[in-house]
Amino acid sequence: MTSYRILPAIAALALTSGVLTATPAQGQWSTTSEQYYLPASFNWQFRTNYPAADRLFNAFDYGHAILYERLWTQPGAPVSLLEEKEYNFITRELLVHPPRLPLEEAAIEIEYAKLAPEAKQMFDWAHLLHRQIYDVWADERVSLNQKDARVAELIAYYKTRRDLAFSSRPKSMELMEGQPYSLAFRKNYPKFNGLIWAYHWLQVGLYEPLVTGKDRDARQTGVLAAVARFRQMIENAPTDMPRIMPMTAAVAPAFAERYPEASIIFDNLHSMHDVVSDILANPSVPRNRKRSEILRAAGRYRDDTSYVWTIAEWKEMSQMMGVANMGGPSVGVLEGFPTPTVARGAVHSEMTDHSSMSGTPGMAGMQHSPGMSGTDTSARADTTMAHAGHAMPSSTPDSSMRSMAAMEIHMRMLEDPVIRARIRADTALRRMMTEMMEGMPAGHRASMEQMLESGTSGGAMSGMDHSTKDSTVPTATAPARPRVAPAKKAPVKKPATAMPGMDHSTMPMPPANKPAAKPARKPPAKSPAQTKDSMPGMDHSKMKMPPAKP
Amino acid sequence: MMSLFLAASGSAGAQTDYYNTDAGRPLTVEDAYATERYAFELQLAPVRLERSRGGVYAWGLEPELAYGVLPRTHIEVGMPLAYVEAGGFKRSGLAGIDVSVLHNLNAETQTLPALGVVVDALLPVGGLGPSRTYVSGKAIITRTYPWARFHLNGRYTVGDAPTNAPGSGSTADAAVEVSRWLGGVAIDRTFPLRSLLITAETFARQPLDDAEDVEWNAAAGVRYQLSPYFNVDGGLGRRLTGDAPAWFVTFGLSRAFGIRALFPVK
Repeated sequence: MTSYRILPAIAALALTSGVLTATPAQGQWSTTSEQYYLPASFNWQFRTNYPAADRLFNAFDYGHAILYERLWTQPGAPVSLLEEKEYNFITRELLVHPPRLPLEEAAIEIEYAKLAPEAKQMFDWAHLLHRQIYDVWADERVSLNQKDARVAELIAYYKTRRDLAFSSRPKSMELMEGQPYSLAFRKNYPKFNGLIWAYHWLQVGLYEPLVTGKDRDARQTGVLAAVARFRQMIENAPTDMPRIMPMTAAVAPAFAERYPEASIIFDNLHSMHDVVSDILANPSVPRNRKRSEILRAAGRYRDDTSYVWTIAEWKEMSQMMGVANMGGPSVGVLEGFPTPTVARGAVHSEMTDHSSMSGTPGMAGMQHSPGMSGTDTSARADTTMAHAGHAMPSSTPDSSMRSMAAMEIHMRMLEDPVIRARIRADTALRRMMTEMMEGMPAGHRASMEQMLESGTSGGAMSGMDHSTKDSTVPTATAPARPRVAPAKKAPVKKPATAMPGMDHSTMPMPPANKPAAKPARKPPAKSPAQTKDSMPGMDHSKMKMPPAKP
Repeated sequence: MMSLFLAASGSAGAQTDYYNTDAGRPLTVEDAYATERYAFELQLAPVRLERSRGGVYAWGLEPELAYGVLPRTHIEVGMPLAYVEAGGFKRSGLAGIDVSVLHNLNAETQTLPALGVVVDALLPVGGLGPSRTYVSGKAIITRTYPWARFHLNGRYTVGDAPTNAPGSGSTADAAVEVSRWLGGVAIDRTFPLRSLLITAETFARQPLDDAEDVEWNAAAGVRYQLSPYFNVDGGLGRRLTGDAPAWFVTFGLSRAFGIRALFPVK
């Protein structure tokens, strides 16, 4: 009996000493704590009324958590751990079958949660605000005026936790991009970084269809469209993902106008997500300083004095950086992708280098040199030529542009009945042409095959204009074919011009963009409006096609 | 208590927490964290069935309500109802009122586990309640690793052994299981994408009567988040040694909610 009495005491002592001495006795005493969310009738209405989007947000929790856990626990791991293994799991499994309930992030980011529990609580607290504002706007029983009052209450409650609440004053980009550790994550993990920004795009962007939708149906459609656009973003990573951090005032302008405080809080939240990623990903921050750097950044995001912008500056910056670079607007998204104007991973300081860019509406007051310092002209060309619903043969902007130019050359050659006859007669030439066409998008390939076989134009590229003078020609007004069902009453917006107002005359252009050496021999068979367009988003008006029969 | 819950539930969405364990839900050993501030957590149907040697059954139902009254601190009130067969007696009734305060001292960090303390009083109320008030103190340690989470509990109770100890045919002690000391460890494994936790424990307790043997127990259980509103748990265990080895099963259903009037924003 005595041994029975002694054994538990021995076991208890052993376990206690074990847990207390598992790591060096450099105390990290944290008293951060959780707090329940504000009770209200609207709670969980977003889950009830928008289950697809709600489930996605559950999956987003995992993405953030596993990112921090991997960066912290496996600092020497190959980049592919996040860029391939985790990314593929998230995009191919988790986002396809999202969890049915919000996740307990502490059970995923186990070691990170111990590294910086205070920062984790800040994120959790802000995520609660996020979700409850969705709930307010998802609850059709709450009138518009009541919605504003409820959101005000939520923000007031959020701010009662000064130890957790992000400041509702805008923080400058310097805090995110100008620190010694900054940019490490986006440079080393472009796909995962793009995924996180796509998360943030949807998290703030989803407010916009809720706020601007005129009725329940419009809100439903708008939310589904935004979710569909998010899924489009991850289809072709990282090309179609945001290239800079999405800012609420740009992605969800109506929401930001209505709730500037909440919008600023969310921008600060998302900004700090990036900062924590940078601190964890940057080896120049020693491991024994990661926690202190995270807590220092957290303090700066909570206070109302560090790195503060005025609201006017915040709005101006949101616009100047260009919504097209942030994934685009979250309503009216059923057209083609927006046209980014900067390189992936561009930083604020580069974008505001006024000495080298010329002003455009999208980048007010900026100077654009002929070479467009600080921007990715190839990327611009890529997206200018991007056709909704068509995967381009190559993945890089440059090669895509070259392919398009080559395709146009071939199309023009096939206009000539003599050339067509020559190709048909020459088996080697015919084979080469066939091989070349195999790399084309399906619509173009079918059209060219038809032209080659029957001599007809096929109409697929009737009236097409491959000139990249997209920002000054009617290209921008050509409606793009949606990749998903069109939104009911969704506002139809012009596809973003690459850099409206910009002088493109000095930009290097591929040969295809120059005036056609050979004038069109006949007018288009059909006007663009009459022809089923396999390359929506392009101005086809100047593309000349051969006659229907040779 | 039930009316309080019903009144609040219409106006409060809630999410219970499968990740943090409570004493008895499903196991005896619990973690060091308190109910969130301003949250109520109601144990709706915490049932325990015990079958001792000889086919003697004891039923217990202990509705509990916990409230996060301060940061990292909750108060909890339980009203254990018991039905026991012992010594030819079949009795049922309230087996005391259990009032406790749990304070979480700190959040877990790299260097320190989460620490919690509990002060508990079992009041002599009801036909199956103890003959006097028993006050207990408990210390809790929680440590999380990527592969498992551990909880270490140690409890000591002040007060003389009841004059009508189990050996004398009383049912009170059997109903509430007051022990002089208790020490135990639990291990959890979480499946976050499924909102599921499995757990196992072993603990030893010395009955109040020093003449009795130390009881060793082992049990396993699950906690599962049914919905944002409800959480279920279940457990199965065995009292391995002591004067009355027995099997026991537990089942519980809990719901968390808030009452708006208690929040700092009106």
